[in-house]
Order: sequence, then structure tokens, then C-alpha cells
Amino acid sequence: MANNYSAEYEKTSDALPGQSLDWLKVIRADAFKCFSDKGFPSLREEEWRYTNVAAIEKKLFTPQFNVEVNEIDKELLQNYQLDGVFTIVLVNGRVSLEHSNLEGLSDNISVLSMVDALDQKPELVEKYLAQAVNDKEHSFVAFNTAWFSDGLFIHVQANQVIEKPIQLLHIVTQADLLATTRSIVVVDEMAEASIIETYVGVENVYLTAAVTEVFVGKNAVLTLYKMQSEGDKAYHFGGIYVKQDKESRFTHHNFSFGGLLARNDIHTDLNVASECDLNGLFLGVKRQHIDNHTRINHAQPHAMSRELYKGVLNQRARGVFQGRVIVAEDAQQTNSEMNNRNLLLSNDAEVDTKPQLEIYADDVKCAHGVTVGQLDEKSVFYLQSRCLDEKTARNILTFAFANEMVDKIKVESLHEKLLLQLLQRFPQEGVEKSWL
Amino acid sequence: MSSSAEEIEQLISQEYKQGFVTELEVDTFPPGLDEDVIAKLSKIKNEPDFMLEYRLKAFRHWQTMKSPDWAQLNIEPIDYQSISYYSAPKRKEDGPQSLDEVDPELLDTYKKLGIPLDEQERLAGVAVDAVFDSVSVATTFKGKLKDAGVIFCPISEALQEHPELVKQYLGSVVPEADNFFAALNAAVFTDGSFVYIPKGVRCPMELSTYFRINAANTGQFERTLIIADEGSHVSYLEGCTAPMRDENQLHAAVVELIVLDNAEIKYSTVQNWYPGDENGVGGIYNFVTKRAECRGSNSKVSWTQVETGSAITWKYPSCVLLGDDSVGEFYSVALTNNYQQADTGTKMIHIGKNTSSTIISKGISAGKAQNTYRGLVKVGKRAENARNYTQCDSLLVGDKCGAHTFPYVEVKQPSAQIEHEATTSKISEDQLFFCQQRGLSAEDAVSMIVNGFCKEVFKELPMEFAVEAQALLGISLEGSVG
Repeated sequence: MANNYSAEYEKTSDALPGQSLDWLKVIRADAFKCFSDKGFPSLREEEWRYTNVAAIEKKLFTPQFNVEVNEIDKELLQNYQLDGVFTIVLVNGRVSLEHSNLEGLSDNISVLSMVDALDQKPELVEKYLAQAVNDKEHSFVAFNTAWFSDGLFIHVQANQVIEKPIQLLHIVTQADLLATTRSIVVVDEMAEASIIETYVGVENVYLTAAVTEVFVGKNAVLTLYKMQSEGDKAYHFGGIYVKQDKESRFTHHNFSFGGLLARNDIHTDLNVASECDLNGLFLGVKRQHIDNHTRINHAQPHAMSRELYKGVLNQRARGVFQGRVIVAEDAQQTNSEMNNRNLLLSNDAEVDTKPQLEIYADDVKCAHGVTVGQLDEKSVFYLQSRCLDEKTARNILTFAFANEMVDKIKVESLHEKLLLQLLQRFPQEGVEKSWL
Repeated sequence: MSSSAEEIEQLISQEYKQGFVTELEVDTFPPGLDEDVIAKLSKIKNEPDFMLEYRLKAFRHWQTMKSPDWAQLNIEPIDYQSISYYSAPKRKEDGPQSLDEVDPELLDTYKKLGIPLDEQERLAGVAVDAVFDSVSVATTFKGKLKDAGVIFCPISEALQEHPELVKQYLGSVVPEADNFFAALNAAVFTDGSFVYIPKGVRCPMELSTYFRINAANTGQFERTLIIADEGSHVSYLEGCTAPMRDENQLHAAVVELIVLDNAEIKYSTVQNWYPGDENGVGGIYNFVTKRAECRGSNSKVSWTQVETGSAITWKYPSCVLLGDDSVGEFYSVALTNNYQQADTGTKMIHIGKNTSSTIISKGISAGKAQNTYRGLVKVGKRAENARNYTQCDSLLVGDKCGAHTFPYVEVKQPSAQIEHEATTSKISEDQLFFCQQRGLSAEDAVSMIVNGFCKEVFKELPMEFAVEAQALLGISLEGSVG
């Protein structure tokens, strides 16, 4: 079935950016071969045992390289454009500077579209592209490497601190479209930045396959937010692959709200004394399927990782959490904590969770915990004893369960947006935004 | 710290005392496996026809299967044609009628292992079925058990005397095509224990089977089937040892437990197969399929295992909680040292309403060993109010070993409550320091900490086994706790 896409690749590959660069041509060709050999992942693969992507395989999503910018659903765009941030808009997998707003961005921070970066600084792209992730690891990554149409190249130079976050607003405006973006974020030594990835789209079937490679330099700090609010029929695959240098800090907040089938992969390689925090919230309603896959690789000693993922599943939704912590032989003094909490609200909802510890060093402190359950009856009773009806009491508690993750967000406009999303997707009777 | 680390290692590593070989005249099949071998096996055992069909069906399916490779184990490929599938001490025409007629060599062997086959001995409260290579050589207290209505005999004997019971239950929990090793076992199993506890009977004594591999180049394939009828109760113990050899020997067992309404089975194992030497040469490959089905309401199964032996352990005692209000428990201590590898855990399948399960798993990894917990907790759509609590802790001793945790949780029922916790750490220097500062030697302190670490599991073992288990860990509580 991968052949479905093979023919399409032959047709469109010439229009891909950077085809004049020999090294990139090789990378793309290898990646495509890797994808055609392996095909889409099957349920038999351990990492995909709960997520069936046959629907993507059967359909043929095609890239569109010449999408007119005025086709944008302006309302959608306005709705998701945050205040108080720099914004770059990517329409159907292509950067649209027309709608972007980078006014006041310091010269020491370069934000280029991948197309421009390949044109102006190909040697820099070559240095980083496909360095944080291997195509063989993952069919969708190979797919993305072969086929990416654009993306961002963000380079924060040493000792620079960006005051305002940069928002990357991905928007898809057409049905049956394939949006493959590849972004690279490089934060040099002692620099600090935060980036917000937002994914939105029309209420039609389309496929987003985005990969972001992140390099956090020595002592640098990067916070990455992801708000995935794709259209209800969309397929979303989003991979974030991070390489952390010594004493760096990486924080990821992953909010998965939209899409019919969404898969998030977050992998990070920790260096000596570095730290990472992975937070996630996934809400599933109707027939949504949300799969979160994280891997924290403690390759070096003295590093620390914390992870908390929360899931709320209603109606016929299915949530998956697969978290893996690997502690290499020399990674002594590792401290790692992983938690996954899930709430099932209906008889047809399902959650599958698989937290894994793989430890080859002895002087470590590693723990993980999982719970699947329902609201605490005592808390429900307490609220009822305070004159709330049961339904309201349950709504408030469900909301509070999820809101713990939203509360961690310090970017005001994003916090606001997330709260609205949360309220939209929950039984909200009895919960008022003004209380929050 | 380094000096006490050495002490820990000394404590954990100890010689394998059961590694001797008994010289006996034996009947052994030449190595190799095909349908003729199975037919011959079935004929020697004088089995009813349905058994041969069952074995052949399993064998034919096995030939289409591939050895599983998903476990966190590094297994040298096994040549199934180089193993002999039957080896038994030569016996007189009729076989022994009582203990007096059992070959004294054999009795000596068991005496040396500390397993008294003499009914007057100190462990008078335990009935023992002794399985030596491919056959059961003796079963004690048969008379006393018969008075209570309990059937406790080798499975080969049960096939002669109670074929209808065996036919009804054999393979009903672990079907012959269940997995690679279960299929192999179904095709070639030679002996094992059969237990039937009738309605309302509380088995008057502990039942136990002692497995011994003696012959070289053989595999041991035993099959245990325990049926607890309505309202009955039984506690069953299992122990095993093997001689020290340079080659790896295969042990592939299947254990099936069937628990009906209000019945309870408590199944304890102290697994002490030869683990191989400190360079990882030799040792038993232990591939075991153990599964219990709580068919009745209010039924209960409790697995307790202490795994210290075997070069490779691949074992997941599971509970299928079919009946409403049924309970499954799994308590495990797995110790791996040198080059041992263990991938063990459990499956709790909640199907009935109000079912509950508890998993306590303690892994201790030392030397260059790899110790993995792999478990599944599955809650079906109809399993309202299912409850599971899982705790798996790993202790690392030495910087070349590994400890891994792979739990799977699959829930389809909103009223279920599932908790899983896992921690991995080494013996904390703070704890050691605290104990030493209170006047304990480093050795006693480690002993106390390790014992405390395993206590939750040891307390589930029957007394005699708890003693053996503690001794196996090479740790004495003397002078450390009151």
C-alpha cells in the first residue's frame, strides 16, 4: 500500500525544496526508500500495538505546493493567533510570511522558513537536519524526511534571551491534503527561548505529519508548547526529537485536543546534568484516538527527568500512553519520575497505558506510576454536601483534574486559549470560566 | 561504600548446593523429536487414545510456530532435535507399590535435597510428589489424602485412573496452541502432578511437588493440573533443582489451575534450577506457562514465587478472573545474579464483576544479570468495579546489572480502579548508614534491608518454604531483627 504514496512521490518530489542540493537529495532518497521498505507501521510493532494507521494507508493524501494564501479561513486564523507573541503562519505546510508577525524580533535570533534556509544557509541546515532522529526509527519520520515541503529553521544565538514566545501556527485549509513540515530549533549556549506550536485545520479529512528537531545547547533553556486542535476528522502525527547538551533544560507541554487520530512522539536525549520536564494532557471525545509516545534517554549521568501525562476519555474515545525511560550503563545518579493518570468517563471509552523503565545503571532513583480510575466519591460527596447537584460536582472535579495541566502554563494568551478549549470539550454545566 | 558493596555481593552469591548428579540406570530416548517419538512416549505411558491425538495436534501446531523473541532476554537458539524427550530411572516390571520399593539411590537423592519422602519425617504436614526427570517416582500420604477425597497423583497415573477428569480439564486453561513453549509441552509432556479437591473439602495438608532434572541432554516437560471444586481449598508448593552442567538444559512446563465457586488455590513456587556458573556457562532455560482460571464466583487464586535459579526465566503466572467477585494475587521475588536473565511477571485479566487483583513484584539484580518485570492488567468491558493494585520494585546491586519494568494496562471499564507503582533504586546509603550507626554490621544491615524489601512476598509463603526462600537469598536475619 505504501506504493500508493510511491507513485505520488515520483510525481511531486521535484517540486520539493532543496532538490538542487545533492546531500539533501541523498537524504530524501534514503528516507523514501526506508519508508517504502517498511511501509506504515502495523499493530504488530510494539510501539504501535494500540494505534492502527490503516486508514491513512488506504487513503492517498497529496501535498499542494501552490496554495493561494487568500484561501485561508481567516476566522480560524484569527481565532488561534495568540496575543503578545511573535507569530509565523504555515498554510498547508508552507510558511506564509504575509500572515506572520515578527516585528521587533532581535537580529540575534534568526527565524527562517525551511525553504529560505535551504537557499541561504544550506550548510547550517545540513549540520542539523536528521541529526536528532533517525529515519529508521519510525516510518512517519522517514515519510516526513522524504516529503517535507517547508517548516521553520529557528536559531537562537548564544546568550540571547527571547522575551516573547514564538508561535508557529500550522493551518490546513483543504481536504485530502498532506501537510508535511520539518522544523529545526537550535538554542545555543546559555540562550533561552520558548516556542508554541499550534495545529489547526478545517473540518475535513487531511493528514499532518510534522517533525521538529530540537537542539538545546549547554546551559540553555527551551520551553516548547504544543496545542493540537486539528479538525475533528483530521489525522495528526507530530514528532518532537530533542538533543540536550550539558546542564540544559527542556520543558514540553503537550495539549492534544483535536483530530480523529492523533499520535505524539516526544523523544529526548539527556546529557550530563541536564533536565527535562514532559507534561501532557489529552482529551478524547466521540471516536477520537490519541496516542502519546514519549522516550527519555538518560545516556549520561546526573540528569533528571520528570513526566506527567493526564488523560480524560469520554464517549467512545481511546487514549494511549506509552512512556519509556532508558537509563544507560554509565548514567549514574539519574533521577527519573514518570506519572500517567487517566479518567474514564463513559462505558465505551478505553485507555491503554504502558510506562516502561529500562535501567542498566545501579545508582539511580527511578519511579513510575499509573492510575486509571474515576472521580473520588468522597470529593463528589463533599461538593454535594455543599449544595451542588451531583452532575455539577462531577463536572467541576473532572475539570479540575484536567486543569492541573493547563495551570502550569504561564503564557497568558495561551493559558486563556487552552482554558477555552478545555471548556468546549467538557461537560461544562456548572463550570464557569469566571471562577478560574 | 565499596567495601560494603563487596559484602553485598558475597551475600548474594553463594554456591549452588544442589548441583550433584545421581548415578542411576536409566531409560532414555535418543535425541530428536517427531511424531514417532510422541507416539512412543504415549505408548510407554499407556495413555488413552485421546491423549495421543491431543499431543499430535499440539505438535503439528508447534511446528508452524516460532520461538517468541519479544522478551528482554538474550537466548541462544535452541536445537530442539538435540534434546532427548524422555528419560526415566529403570524400574521393575510393576513399578513400586510403596516407598519401600523405591530405588534407595533415589530416596538418598531426595534426602540430600532435604525433601523427605519418608512419611515419618519432620515435614509430616506436607504430601510430596517427587518427579525425577520424566517420571514421578513417589507420592507420599496418598492414603491419608484419599480418605479426605483428595486426588493427588502423578498426571500419568491420573490418565489411567481418572481419564474423564483429565480429558475435561486438560488444555482448558492453556490450550495446546497457546504459545510456542506450551505447544511443545502439550506435545511431549511426560509427567507432573494432578490434584482434584472435591466439593467443600479443605485439603488436610499442604501438597507439594519436587522436580529434579538429573539426566544430561534431556529436557523436562512437566504438566500440572489442579482443580479446586466448589468451596474447596488447597495450598500447593513446588520446588525444583538440577545438577551443574556446562550445557543448557530446557525446562518447559505448563501449569493449569481451575477454581470453581468459592474455592481457593494457593500456589507457591521456589524455583532453584541450576543458574549456570559465574561466567554464564550452563544453567537451565526455564520457559513456563502458568495460568489460573477463576471460573466460579468468589473464587481466589494466589501465586507466590521465589525465583532464584535458572540461566533464563520466562514465566508469567496469570489469572483469568471470570467469575464475579473473584480474586487474583501475584507475589514474586526474582533474584538474578552473574549472567542470569529473568523476564517474569503476571497477567491479570478482569472479566467478571467486582473482581480484584494484587501484584507485588520484587526484583533484585546483581552481577551482570538482567531482571525484567513484564505484566498486563486488562479490564474488560463488563468487569464493573474491577480493582487492581500493582507494585513492582527493583533493587540493583552492582553497576553492570539491569532492571526493567514493562507493565501494560488496558482498561475498558470506567468504574475500574487501577493503580500501578514501580520504583528502581540501589540499597540506599542512608539506610545502610542508619543501620550501621545503630550498631549493625554492614552485612547485617544489608541482610535486613534486602529481607525487608522482600518481606511482603515472603509472608505469603508457607512456613517451610519461607525458611528455604530466605536461606536461598543467602541472608540470615539472625541478630538483626527480633
